Amino acid sequence: MNIHKKNLISKMISDLKVSRRRFLKASAAGGALFASGVGLKPQFTALAATDQTPSQEAGQWMAGTCQGCTSWCAKQVYVVGDRAVKIRGNPHSKVSLGASCVKSHLALQQVYDPDRLKTPMKRTNPKKGRHEDPGFVPISWDEALDTLADKIMALRETNETHKYMLMRGRYTYMRDILYDRMTKIIGSPNNISHSAICAEAEKFGSYYTEGLWGYRQYDVQNARYVLIWGADPLAANRQVSSYTRIWGDVLGRAQVAVVEPRLSATATKADEWLPVKPGQDSALALAIAHLILTHGLWSREFVGDFKETTHRFIPGQRVDEAHFQERHTHGVVAWWNLEVKDRTPEWAAEKTGLPVEQIKRVALDFGHAAPRAISWVGGGPCMQVRGGYSSMACHALNGLVGACDNEGGTLASNKEYTKKFPKPDAFMDEIAKKGKKHEKIDQRGRLEFPALKSGKPGSAVLTNNAAEGILHEDPYDIKVALGYMNNFAFSCTQPERWEQALSKIPFVAHLTTNASEFSWFSDLLLPNTHHLFEKYGYVKSIANGYRHVTLMQPIIKRIGDYKSDETEVPWLLAEKLAQRGFPNLLDHYKTYKDPETGKAPTNEMEFSLYALKYATQALWDPSEYKGGDRFNGWEDFLKTGVWNSDPYPYRKRWGKMKTQTGKFEFYSVTLKKALEKHAKKHTTTVDNVLKVCHYEVKGERAFIPHHEDPYIAGDKADYPFLFVDHKSRLNREGRSANCTWYYDFKDLDPGDENWDDVAKINPADATSLGIKSGDPIRITSPIGQIECTAKLWEGIRPGTVAKCYGQGHWAYGRIAAKEFGKTPRGGNNNDLIPVEYDRLSGSTVRHAGTRVKIEKI
Amino acid sequence: MPQYAMVIDLQRCVGCGACSIACRNENNVPDGIYWSDKMTETVGTFPDVRFHYIPTLCNHCENAPCVRGCPTGAMYKLDNGITMHDPDKCIGCKYCEFNCPYGVIYFNWQTPHPFWRETTPLIEGCTLAASEVTKKAGGNTLPYANPDREETLPGIRPKGVVEKCTFCDHRVKKNLLPYCVEACPANARIFGDISDPKSKVSKLLGKFRPFRLKEHLGTNPRVYYIRGYNPAQYEASKGDV
Repeated sequence: MNIHKKNLISKMISDLKVSRRRFLKASAAGGALFASGVGLKPQFTALAATDQTPSQEAGQWMAGTCQGCTSWCAKQVYVVGDRAVKIRGNPHSKVSLGASCVKSHLALQQVYDPDRLKTPMKRTNPKKGRHEDPGFVPISWDEALDTLADKIMALRETNETHKYMLMRGRYTYMRDILYDRMTKIIGSPNNISHSAICAEAEKFGSYYTEGLWGYRQYDVQNARYVLIWGADPLAANRQVSSYTRIWGDVLGRAQVAVVEPRLSATATKADEWLPVKPGQDSALALAIAHLILTHGLWSREFVGDFKETTHRFIPGQRVDEAHFQERHTHGVVAWWNLEVKDRTPEWAAEKTGLPVEQIKRVALDFGHAAPRAISWVGGGPCMQVRGGYSSMACHALNGLVGACDNEGGTLASNKEYTKKFPKPDAFMDEIAKKGKKHEKIDQRGRLEFPALKSGKPGSAVLTNNAAEGILHEDPYDIKVALGYMNNFAFSCTQPERWEQALSKIPFVAHLTTNASEFSWFSDLLLPNTHHLFEKYGYVKSIANGYRHVTLMQPIIKRIGDYKSDETEVPWLLAEKLAQRGFPNLLDHYKTYKDPETGKAPTNEMEFSLYALKYATQALWDPSEYKGGDRFNGWEDFLKTGVWNSDPYPYRKRWGKMKTQTGKFEFYSVTLKKALEKHAKKHTTTVDNVLKVCHYEVKGERAFIPHHEDPYIAGDKADYPFLFVDHKSRLNREGRSANCTWYYDFKDLDPGDENWDDVAKINPADATSLGIKSGDPIRITSPIGQIECTAKLWEGIRPGTVAKCYGQGHWAYGRIAAKEFGKTPRGGNNNDLIPVEYDRLSGSTVRHAGTRVKIEKI
Repeated sequence: MPQYAMVIDLQRCVGCGACSIACRNENNVPDGIYWSDKMTETVGTFPDVRFHYIPTLCNHCENAPCVRGCPTGAMYKLDNGITMHDPDKCIGCKYCEFNCPYGVIYFNWQTPHPFWRETTPLIEGCTLAASEVTKKAGGNTLPYANPDREETLPGIRPKGVVEKCTFCDHRVKKNLLPYCVEACPANARIFGDISDPKSKVSKLLGKFRPFRLKEHLGTNPRVYYIRGYNPAQYEASKGDV
């Protein structure tokens, strides 16, 4: 290691007076050198001089897609022979703009990770537990799939197909083959996705205001103010590559403010940092709304105006709804009267711990930038017990300034023309139909779990609660489970519950690249392909006013006996089921015909390819053309690797939002209807539903974005610090922990250290505890504890402690774990955060979830 | 003969380090050695805190102390301004490393890439040893080794010699940009010929007041920095007494 590395920037940059003089002198000297260079004879123009070599590079760049995070960027892989060597952005994408973020490169260390499973494996130790070596031994794919098929057939014979469960982690849009069609045709309601441990509460805010259950795109290139809530787009999710590409220009044109208790990567590149007290985001959002309304900065074009110029929004005073003529919004006056009129900046300063002047400055600058003012809602304010309404409050600002669906504002998705796979209904027999009718294992829709996805009670997944369903056999026991590209025994809060749940299931199969914590409790391990290099698939994503559909394809030699999760494995399993007298699944898959030849697939590789061609036909087949980029045919599309949509049609959704009123709802008639529907189903009141869900609100305020103090585990006297979880710019969704580059560059996360897992503590707090940087510490919450290293850092709000998610693996590989199967490297944040939910969206709580105490070890 | 220089636009730089990992990748650089690196600093007291980031690499100084101090001529200048190193002539005395005021020259203390030379699998019969991965993939020490690097230097530098950034001389030679420049997702690195007044680098150096690291030493670095990492707006005032 080089000692000079520790030099401070200030030492490296010379005194300007001196350097100015030197600079001039240097230029003169440089000039002389250039002059002499021109006169050199050809024989002196050695080595690095530009020569006539026509060859450029030894390999070729082939199209693929990165799923290291859900940006889902179009990539190109430099392939030499049949080996992956380098990765870059696909220049054809209008979404990822040819850029390739730092974490994309780690895919090389993933695909060639020596600890990847090279063959199927079975467990030989029947006892399951954290300290039980599973005794994995290699087996053939034949034996592995025979075993799995036998287990499924046994359920069909006893009419217990609902006791089969599919758990999904990272997926492509080939997912429905395995996740939906296979689960349905076997006959189970239990396809459980990971979505609720990701960010569903983020979608809650946009749905119950503008009828959009999905991620937004942010038109930052045309914006004049970008207000970011608990999102870190320069480090993690979404569109890290393309925001990185344009950020320097964004900073030149717009003011950027970041609301987050720690100085995030994006906050280091912003004009304004608002280190809010965790869980008080809605207080800030409502004060901003208050200031926008009282200063008359709302969008007349979008929201409307008072009928008489004499009427105004005056702090603390009610407004008569009859005096205001609304245009494309609904309930702005109701919102003012019920909530916003009292949400003064002084009140918010008290709640948020931010200075009044800063709140005013940000609110007025944001308002003056209208409608080119973006309120960017990330997971921070939302993935909290009372996050549903914070999500609405932060998102509502987009309505107030008319940024919703507008130039320089927040946009929905562009149209794309991929096709759904054939319907499974005709292949579902009586057993399957009966099996599918059972209640889902995650208990969604029960009184305490409204899970109101897209306005429908009981429609959102409760990923982390499935563990409870399994453990308590409520509604029933699970007998056979298949998980793919998931690691709930690490990635869910209180993962020990998953260890117990998986131990309880008689047969668990895991489709995975590495022997993870989930695998440790599995009976069968199936080696999966790596998305970027080894399988067929496609995904869609949005940014910069475009949507792209980007392809994955096998472009390198598989050095292990891997099979792709969403196409090859289900096909091969379908063959096994057919051999056992249950041909329905195979018959269904045979309907995925090659659009070019009309041929039905005859093996797993043909199936993968035909399924992909089938789903994307309208993008590449000139006779099916509907819009966006044009291709001459399949080969042309495959070679380019990405299709771009037409540009975004601004303001097209104004007056046609998918809400109950068709407008942007500050008073959410849509939420009212959903909550009333859920209450009616359980013959109770909306007030009671919210009480059971740990919300405090009663009456009409339940239908508007409002403030509630956060619901946080732990007593302040015993647990003095609020725990702040955040993501690393090197995390590939927690799957890069076995890459050496991850640790050799960990200090790219502001405040973090290489080859260490640090908790960032404000020096003022640390000093009072007698803790120094580098001290080993134990962090304890009411439900668990971890050990890591202390790092004193000014970029963190006093009274909080921040730690990056990603380390703390005790399995996964030789680097990820300090000692594989035994000792973790660092600590897993999920061991500290109690299992809780924003029950309205089903989301698992990650932020403002717990208090902790810190001790020096 | 072009005279190569790099301009790093700190406003475009987001401190992501993609340059550094891409460099590892392009040049098969071992862990712990940073041809492309950075300096970071957190200044101020909460809540008035700023984080600063300056990407660093070999400055390819016109007046290079590493070249002047090298007893064997292993460290030398190309006509195009690139500071090159020949591991065959290197005796591993590390004078260059000590003479370099920027700390961007590294000595190979061990056989490089020990991780990839391991011969034991994690789970016997179920996973591969790291060295088997490379063999099966067809790489060279590293499974993802870049063969292009071998065109002007050993693809993997041996133990007992120094190594450092070469401005990707093997690429520049073929009219390709240095890989960190190519790979920078923020377009923060601009490369070109400063002897040509019409080049992109010359134009930028004419537009902004650039700075270089430790200019007072007279090394005349060929790596220039423009604009600021934290171009934040702030409320105008005259301060107070």
